[in-house]
Amino acid sequence: MTDTFVLGAAMHPPSAWVADKRLEEMVFDTAWAALNNANVDRKELDHVTIAASDELDGRSISSMLLSAPAGAYLKDEIKATDSGLIGFCLEVMRIESGRFHLGLVSSWNKSSKAPFEDVMRMRCEPFYTRDIGLNMSIADGLFAQAVSRSFAIDQCEVNAAVHASYKQASQNERGMQAEVPSVEAVATSPYVSAPLRKLHQAPITDGCVSMVVCSGDWLRKHPDRRALAKVSGLSWRIDDYQLGEKRLSSLQGFKQTFRNALLMSGLQDASQLDVIEIDSQTSFHDLACRRALELPTDIRISPSGGPFAQNPYFCTGLVHAVEAVLQVANQAGSVQVKGTTRAAAHGSHGFAQQGNAVAIFEGA
Amino acid sequence: MPKNRVAVIGVGETPFRPNVIDKTYVELAQDAAKAALNDAGLTPDDIDAIVFSMAPTQFMGVVDVEKWTVDSIWASGKPFMRVHTGGATGGSALHAGYSHVASGMHRTVLIVGADRVSDTPDAQRILNLIWDPFYEQDFALNTITMTALATQRYMHKYGTTEEQFARVVVRSRKNALKNPNAHLKGNITVDDVMNSPRISWPYKLFDICPRSSGAAAVVLANEEVTKERCSRPAFINGIGGVTSTVFMGDRVGPYSDAELCDEAELKFAGGEAYAQAGITDPMKQIQVVELYDPFSSIQFPQLESLGFCAPGRAQFLSDDGSFDMGATLSVNPSGGTLCSNPIGVTGLVRVADAALQIMGKAGDNQLPGVQNALSTAIGGSVQFANCTVLGADYV
Repeated sequence: MTDTFVLGAAMHPPSAWVADKRLEEMVFDTAWAALNNANVDRKELDHVTIAASDELDGRSISSMLLSAPAGAYLKDEIKATDSGLIGFCLEVMRIESGRFHLGLVSSWNKSSKAPFEDVMRMRCEPFYTRDIGLNMSIADGLFAQAVSRSFAIDQCEVNAAVHASYKQASQNERGMQAEVPSVEAVATSPYVSAPLRKLHQAPITDGCVSMVVCSGDWLRKHPDRRALAKVSGLSWRIDDYQLGEKRLSSLQGFKQTFRNALLMSGLQDASQLDVIEIDSQTSFHDLACRRALELPTDIRISPSGGPFAQNPYFCTGLVHAVEAVLQVANQAGSVQVKGTTRAAAHGSHGFAQQGNAVAIFEGA
Repeated sequence: MPKNRVAVIGVGETPFRPNVIDKTYVELAQDAAKAALNDAGLTPDDIDAIVFSMAPTQFMGVVDVEKWTVDSIWASGKPFMRVHTGGATGGSALHAGYSHVASGMHRTVLIVGADRVSDTPDAQRILNLIWDPFYEQDFALNTITMTALATQRYMHKYGTTEEQFARVVVRSRKNALKNPNAHLKGNITVDDVMNSPRISWPYKLFDICPRSSGAAAVVLANEEVTKERCSRPAFINGIGGVTSTVFMGDRVGPYSDAELCDEAELKFAGGEAYAQAGITDPMKQIQVVELYDPFSSIQFPQLESLGFCAPGRAQFLSDDGSFDMGATLSVNPSGGTLCSNPIGVTGLVRVADAALQIMGKAGDNQLPGVQNALSTAIGGSVQFANCTVLGADYV
C-alpha cells in the first residue's frame, strides 16, 4: 500500500488525427485541464514527471519543447521513455520517497505525425532482427501465434472479441466512439501478420493524459481537497528482449507484474478487483491476458473499451489508469461499473509486451 | 525528509574512447554493470530494480536501445525503466534511482547506461535535430553554437577572456592524466588551446568535449544493505533538479527568471539540494565538484550559480589555482566532461566520479579528506539542470 493519491486527471479528446493543434498545444491543454480538475495551481507543484518517446514525437529530446507545456517550467522534472504508465510508476516513487508531495504526470502520443512502424522497426538491434524487418505488427503476429497455442485461442473467438470490444468502447464518451465492425468484417479484414488481421489491432490514435498526484501528508494538510483515488498497488517489470517461445507464449511478465501489484495492495488475487483495464493492443492480447489471470466472470474487464476506445499507444496505459481512477471515484459516466471500490490499470510497452506495468487504485 | 537513506555502494565505468570496435552497445553496458556490481560486492540477483540512463538514441541508431540491453544486464524479470533528459540524463537517472530506494519500494537499484556517440560521423548534425524544424534547424543551431552564443553573453557581462577558458582546458586535461578511463588527457598549454582550429567563436576545438563511447553504472542501496556491504559509502544527501524553457531568448534580459549565460537554473537546483544536505557555505563544506562541462566556458557560471563564489569571480579564482587538484575546491579532478563525454551517461559519470572521491576509490586522482562532493548534469538548451550532493556521512 502506498500513501499516494490521485487528486485530479484529464484526457485530451482522442482523435485519429488531431489536426487543429500542435502537440505542445495538446499537452498544454491536457495538463491545464488536470490541474483544474484537481483544483491545484501550477505554482503549488513541487515536481513534474513526464513520459514520452522522442521518436514518436518526431523530435530528438522532445521534452526540450514539451516539458514547459506539460507544466514543468522551473520545476524538478524527469522524463521516462518507456510508457505513460511507467511515468506514473516513477511519479509515485518520487512522492513515496518523501522528497516530493504534489506533482503532475503527463504523457502523450501524436502518432498521426510519426511513421509509426518505421519507428518500431528501428527498435530492432542491427545484427539479427533489423534485417528481417521486425516491427510492432510482426511482433504482435508472433505473439498471436504463440498465445493461440498456449491459451487455446481460436480465430472465431478473436473476431468476436474485437466486435465486443468495439461495442463496449462505443459506450465510452471519452473514447473515439468508432463504428462497431461486424464479426464478419473482422474475420475478412486483410492479414497484417498471420494470424493477426487488420481489425484485430486497436487503431492507434492521437491523445494526451495528465494526472495530479499527491502524498498523504499533503492531503492531510489540505483537508478541503478531495482525492479521486488512492494508489494501493504498483508494479512493473521487463521481460527478455529476444522473442523466444517462452517469452511469447507464457505471459510470465504480465502475470508476475499483476501478482506483485496485488501483493502490494494486500490482495490475494485478481478476483478481488472490481475492474481491470487491460492494455490489449490486439484481441489476441485481450483473450490471452484474461486467461492468464484466470479471472472469474463477474469481474469487468476493460469497461472503457480498452485500447479500442482510444489508443494513444505510448500512453494507453496511463489512459487506463485514468479510467480506473474514474471507476473508483464513481465518475466513469456511461461505462461506470456500479459499486467499484478497486480497479487496476495495465500498460505494456516494447515488442510483444516486453514490459508491463500495473497500478491498482482504491476509493480515497 | 526522505523516508529511507540512500547511498552509492558500487561504481563501474568503462574506459571512454572515440571508438569501441570490439564491443557492442549492450556489451559496454554489461561491462559497466558488472564492474559496479563487483565493486558493491553484489550479484545480479541482489539487485531489485534497474534504471537505464540513455539520451537520444540517434547517435547509435537503435530506438529504445535499453530494451535490447535488458538481456545483457540481468534486468529480465525486474522493474526496469529508462529516463532521458538530454545531456542531464545521467543525473536524472540517479535521481530516479534514488526515488526507487528512498521510497522503500526497493532495497537496491542498479543505474546503468552507455553511449556510442562516435557511431555517427557527425554528432552535431544529430544535435541540430533537437531544434524546431520550422524556425531553428536552418540556422545551423547545434549544441556548440547554442553554448557559444550563451558564452559570448557571459564574456560581455564579466569580461572573461578566451585565455581564461583555455586555462580550464589545460587544468582538465592535466587532471585526466591520472584518470585511466578518460578519453582526452595530456599536458597541454594555453597556446595549444588558442591555436587549435576555430569552431564557433569563442570556441576552438580544444574548448569542446570529445565524442566518447563508453558506459557507467552505480549501485544504490538502502541503509540495511549499505551497512552489510559497504564500509565507506557515498550517501546521497541532497538532490535538486529544474527544467527551464527551451527558448533561449526568454532567458535573457531583465525579465528572465533564470539568466541564460549564468546557468542560473542551478541556483534553484543547487539551493534545493543544499537545503536537504545542510550545505550553507559550499566553498567551505564541499571539497570536490564534478561539473558537467562539455565546453570550457561553462564551469564558471555553474560554480557561481552554485554559490562557490560571486558572479564573475570564478575566472579569477581559476586563474590563481583555486580550482586545481588539492586546492580550496578541486573542480573536476577526473578531467570532467571536457575530457570524456558519452552523452547518454555523462551525468552518471559525474556522479560516479564524485562518489569515488567520497568512497576513497578514486585511485591516483584521490584527494584527501573528501567529506562532501557535488555533481551536476545539464541538458537540452542548457535548460535541464540537476545536481547531487554526496557525503561521507548521512545528513
